[in-house]
Amino acid sequence: MVKFLKPNKAVILLQGRFAGHKATIVKNFDDGTRDRAYGHCLVAGVAKYPSKVIRKDSAKKQAKKSRVKAFVKLVNYNHIMPTRYTLDVDLKDVVSPDVLVSRDKKVTACKEIKAKFEERFKTGKNRWFFSKLRF
Amino acid sequence: MVAAKKTKKTHESINNRLALVMKSGKYTLGYKTVLKTLRSSKGKLILISNNCPPLRKSEIEYYAMLSKIVVHHYGGNNVDLGTACGKFHRVSCLSIIDPGDSDIIKSLSADH
Repeated sequence: MVKFLKPNKAVILLQGRFAGHKATIVKNFDDGTRDRAYGHCLVAGVAKYPSKVIRKDSAKKQAKKSRVKAFVKLVNYNHIMPTRYTLDVDLKDVVSPDVLVSRDKKVTACKEIKAKFEERFKTGKNRWFFSKLRF
Repeated sequence: MVAAKKTKKTHESINNRLALVMKSGKYTLGYKTVLKTLRSSKGKLILISNNCPPLRKSEIEYYAMLSKIVVHHYGGNNVDLGTACGKFHRVSCLSIIDPGDSDIIKSLSADH
């Protein structure tokens, strides 16, 4: 009775290049659009997870290992597994459906998402989201 | 979690209530549509047969946990559930959207 596919929900992609990767919902299109006549959502996710940082890593190496690569994608609801986790990062102004129109817009959006994700990762919150799902 | 052995009496009453839903209410049969109703929170009750594959059963239960929809593990396999729905095919999971005249939701929520 409770709608759970809402913005900021953490989901796992099940199909495609990013299968097994975690993402967060930015915008829902429950009834679809004219181009996509099915329920889908715009997600921003982790393309490359940050590596494990150990104590004897230098600061430069730690910075290098804590990098996150992000992606933006429109995904069908059937290709998504919702989880009980959320990721409260404000991506609404950065990511919108017209980002996916041209490649350079997408790249700039991904860079901004990457910055926000890295900032969140460094605080140590949402640790589940930034850990690789092993399967 | 081991489901309690269903007594014959309550099992028949569930079948009766299910027949009433089939006649007067709205429902969908099958895994794909059940997930659809769970995502849109239109479902009010989900029934899963006992021989539903465990991964699929856990997935439906997880979705129902997120959307706070009651799941009932039917005391019978997909053949029995299909017969209870009055269909000539197997039904592994079904979702009741609108119970119509039946009180199946109230009676099963009282148990849970």
